[in-house]
Amino acid sequence: MSSTALPQSRLPAKEKELKQRSLLGDAMRRFAKNKLAMAGFCLVALLVLIAIFGDLIAPYPYDEANVSQVLQPPSAEHWMGTDQVGRDEFSRLVYGARISLTVGLSVQFIALCIGLPLGLAAGMLGGKVDWLIMRMVEVMTTIPALMLALLLIAIFGSGLANVIIALGLVSWLDVCRLLRAQLLSMRERDFVLAARTVGATQRRIAVNHLLPNSLAPLIVSVTIGVPAAIFAEAGLSFLGLGINDPLPSWGKMVGDALPYMRVYWFLSVYPTFFIAITMLGFTFMGDGLRDAFDTSMNR
Amino acid sequence: MLRYILGRLIGIVLVLLVVSIIIFLLMHAIPGGPFDEDKMPLPEAAKANILRKYGLDKPLYEQYARYMWAVLHGDFGIPFQSPTETVVGLIGRTWPNSLVLGMVTLLIALPLGILAGALAATHQNTWIDYTATFVSTIGLTIPNFIIAIWLVLFVSVRWKLLPTGGWGHWYDFIMPVIALGLSPLALTSRYTRSSLLEVMRSDFIRTARAKGLSGHQVLWGHVMKNALIPLITIVAPQIPNLITGTIFIESIYRIPGLGQFFVTSIFRRDYPMIMATLLLVALLWSLIYLATDLLYTVVDPRVRLDKKAT
Amino acid sequence: MNKAIAPMFAHNAWLWAAMLILALLVQACAPAAAPAAPAGEAPAAAGEPVKNVLGKEMPADAAPLDQQVYVYPSRNEITFTTIDFYEQVYQRGDALTDLLSDSLTRLDKNFEIQTGAATEWSVDDTGLIWTFKLDPNLMWNDGTPVTANDWVATFQYGADPTHAWDFTWYFNGVIKNWEKAVAGEVPVTDIGVTAVDDHTIQFETQTPAPYLPAMLIYSTTLSKKALETTGPLYNSNVETSVSSGPFKLAEWTKNQRVVYEINPDYKGTNVPYIQKVIVPGYGDGTVLAAYENNEIDFMPAGRISPADMQIIQTDPDLQTQYHPQNGDFRTWYFFFDSQQPPFNDLRVRQAFAHAYDREAIAANVVKQAGIPAYSYLMPGFPDSNSAGFKATYPYDIEKAKQLLADAGFPNGEGFPKQTLKLRTAAAIPLAVAQAYASTLNKELGIDVEVSNMEFKTFMEELNAKPTGIQFGQISYGMDFLDPSNMLGVFLSNGRHNWNNAAFDTLVKEASSMTGDPAARTKMFQDAEKLLVEDVAGIWMHHETPGDLYKPYLKGAALEADKNGMAAMHWPGYSGFSTNLQDIYISNDVSNFRSTPPQ
Repeated sequence: MSSTALPQSRLPAKEKELKQRSLLGDAMRRFAKNKLAMAGFCLVALLVLIAIFGDLIAPYPYDEANVSQVLQPPSAEHWMGTDQVGRDEFSRLVYGARISLTVGLSVQFIALCIGLPLGLAAGMLGGKVDWLIMRMVEVMTTIPALMLALLLIAIFGSGLANVIIALGLVSWLDVCRLLRAQLLSMRERDFVLAARTVGATQRRIAVNHLLPNSLAPLIVSVTIGVPAAIFAEAGLSFLGLGINDPLPSWGKMVGDALPYMRVYWFLSVYPTFFIAITMLGFTFMGDGLRDAFDTSMNR
Repeated sequence: MLRYILGRLIGIVLVLLVVSIIIFLLMHAIPGGPFDEDKMPLPEAAKANILRKYGLDKPLYEQYARYMWAVLHGDFGIPFQSPTETVVGLIGRTWPNSLVLGMVTLLIALPLGILAGALAATHQNTWIDYTATFVSTIGLTIPNFIIAIWLVLFVSVRWKLLPTGGWGHWYDFIMPVIALGLSPLALTSRYTRSSLLEVMRSDFIRTARAKGLSGHQVLWGHVMKNALIPLITIVAPQIPNLITGTIFIESIYRIPGLGQFFVTSIFRRDYPMIMATLLLVALLWSLIYLATDLLYTVVDPRVRLDKKAT
Repeated sequence: MNKAIAPMFAHNAWLWAAMLILALLVQACAPAAAPAAPAGEAPAAAGEPVKNVLGKEMPADAAPLDQQVYVYPSRNEITFTTIDFYEQVYQRGDALTDLLSDSLTRLDKNFEIQTGAATEWSVDDTGLIWTFKLDPNLMWNDGTPVTANDWVATFQYGADPTHAWDFTWYFNGVIKNWEKAVAGEVPVTDIGVTAVDDHTIQFETQTPAPYLPAMLIYSTTLSKKALETTGPLYNSNVETSVSSGPFKLAEWTKNQRVVYEINPDYKGTNVPYIQKVIVPGYGDGTVLAAYENNEIDFMPAGRISPADMQIIQTDPDLQTQYHPQNGDFRTWYFFFDSQQPPFNDLRVRQAFAHAYDREAIAANVVKQAGIPAYSYLMPGFPDSNSAGFKATYPYDIEKAKQLLADAGFPNGEGFPKQTLKLRTAAAIPLAVAQAYASTLNKELGIDVEVSNMEFKTFMEELNAKPTGIQFGQISYGMDFLDPSNMLGVFLSNGRHNWNNAAFDTLVKEASSMTGDPAARTKMFQDAEKLLVEDVAGIWMHHETPGDLYKPYLKGAALEADKNGMAAMHWPGYSGFSTNLQDIYISNDVSNFRSTPPQ
């Protein structure tokens, strides 16, 4: 027989149809195999669940002061002790998950919304556009978040929304610069040349080729960015420019706990620990995502 | 390339101009002024006196024009909070301290970070990797002022090894450098690791290994250079922050640096200092960006900055 | 030696040898014995009393003269370049200041006015013209005599519109033409401060002000000659600094430390024992550590954090070094915008007053730092009547709810959301506000957020017309020991939007009343009654600041005052106080530090 078709009987039954393997599918498979990444993902998922279902988990309301029970060390009644006005630390930490994660994720979301398109434009279009965008980045970098926050608060009052806006406005810079740097380096590579040769448009090259290959450092940046935003919010709250009491955010709790640190260590250790494991979770997850999307790996 | 650099330098001047306008407007938009009302409100007449004394009663554009004219002559004014010296003098006596501390920190933290990251990447998923990741997580998750305070409490108070702070002796560097350096060390380590891992898997590395180059040669000759781009992007911005000082570390260790002025000038509405410190930072950032872009071309010859994309 | 190490040594001769050598090495490198006696001081013969540079005889248990060094921490996050009161009052980093000249009057540890640079004073029959006679011996250490012209120049500088002094409000309504001069309406030479001759100053007041001598503890003079030659910042540099006071400026490393040395040319009466004062800058969080490390001798109450307080309370040694005092009779309170709804309704304010559990909060949150406040004037302050107001607004949630319902907000329904605004409050007032807000939320159903605002933004909002602060928290501590000072804060068109004509009349009349102290007291107490009953504020607590200082700080100034309180009283170690004369370092200091601080 001179047929060029593969004899059907030779193929395993399952793979009669060759499924198109998508990047996403590949990535998810690789991610799932990575133990550390899955651990990170579970941690983040756990934190998100705590944030969503906080009301059900917390034994006490987060704002109930009880002055006869101030600064109690961890005990059976108060698993993580009480703060300087007798509020249950554990409940505040649980509710704090909601606030802190909201701050961290919102700020990074804003950062991506602004930074991705600008970074893409700068990296792809080059020339004057690049110049303009980079000068904008330089200008924005010097405006301290502190000043911006002070101004916003003076006009609109303090609170969660203003903190997020102020931080978001200064967070897109890293995303933009990272993306641009990657694009600059990859623009000249062979596979881009190849794509151009077969007639791919600028946009197609950007979206289908360059963007997926730039994801790695971007992902790492965003995953570091979430706890970084939490930190920045802590700094602002510490200076009186952040969220208002009684709202707890882990960052604010660390700041509030500073005068109590030497003796009432539990007030600062637990929120710090929570920030740390959030960071760990996002880190491992980020590493895993980066590995998963790495198209040069052939696992 | 020379044309490119020239273009960038012009850009820097323009950036500084734009920054100066934005900061000027922002700082005047914030309520309050450089007068102190602690116990009782200042009588209107007294407030007017103060504003007149600092030239703040004139319209904004006039104030800005006067300021820029003076700046062109090298006169950055007199700090409201320190009227016995000029802004240039104040920065001149405080910045060197922050600068030295920052440089020492960088010179220690960066190489250590790269080393740690390289170790982690080359021994991926072993205990070395996990340890390095753990240590770098500490550096990134615990705020540096908490590290600083704990250092003082243990090293100074409990173990009496060092005084609680101060400046002027070599041992005054130890605690601040540790407190300041853990974070850049961690960041560098993480990005080095992630960059290296990505590069190590690429085809040209396989080719190099196939050619028979040793692990070391591969690492330092090929992998490192390619991993450097994102590394430079991330590390470079640490520099302006470090060398202009951090208020918390300098306050805790009593280092007479520039750090505190970034925050206190805003709180005290010390307009000349706000302008000067932020313009200084703007200049540093611009120079860093230029330096990193130039470094890209050195590290990765494929990068062409002056070419327009086709 | 701890148990684990001893056996190790028993068995290992080499280890012994090594330790011995090490010990010898350490000895050799140890700092040399105490430095030679400073120049200008004759070694005392055995048995003879020691005198310091100014010829003051040191107490028998005093440490040697080179150990008479007092180290006090300032705030290093505040840059300051002046130490003169009449140049600037606020933002001087809480350093020790005003040691370079004498003020006309001084406060002693019982808060009584003593002579200072002025040896006597009197007022004429109108009550408006005061005559202060100066000590003729006073000299500036550049050879110029101290004269009345110095004070005239200083006060004129204070009122000078181009100077824009931050304390001009102090003499408003007191010194004649002061306000007009500040506003630029009359020349500064018109203010009611004149030199009758070289050693007589005349003050003319607008209305009778019997408390003028008390106010004049704040009158450390500047040198007219230096003002003219160098300018008002002459004390910011050692080269141009001139002193007529007990100390002179020896060193000033900006943003690091100020060092004063005893002024050998001092001719006044506030003669100190201490020969050197070092004021290094410290940031929050490390002051207690520095104190424990014997780097500083004194830790002011304002630097003690709640954790520090807990450490002090549980450490027997530190507890003995902790000295509570009345400070500046500071009262913390919540206030309202009583001109606008909803707080223009007395019932609403009363409801809020009944909702504040001051005893529980004082006991659990404020603890050693304060006592519950039932009224504005602290017990111990003249004309205070704290006991009389204890029953006025006790903690009573039911009553609060009832009042709130009466005012039209049953269970807090319809009550506009409130933001309780604080002014860069430290840990304790912040905690108090948080506790109170929680009660308001939970018990009264009122939605309250707590916003700890940045200082200047707060003041801008407070002073805006109309005021931007509906519900806020603040404190006031006295400037001079007279009810007119404290109560004057609540006068109409003052810093609080609570206007009561009857109160104004009472306070103004009583302030200028001379002759009948009983009647004056009654008027002030009636005024305070209005203040409390009309809920001009909700009184939180009175501060009882406690300082930490080393046991080798001794002297009559630190011993029990007439109320039995043994502490360094307000205003502390300063030219405004006689404390300078009676504080020295005892020879116990050798248990803490072997060499004097440099």
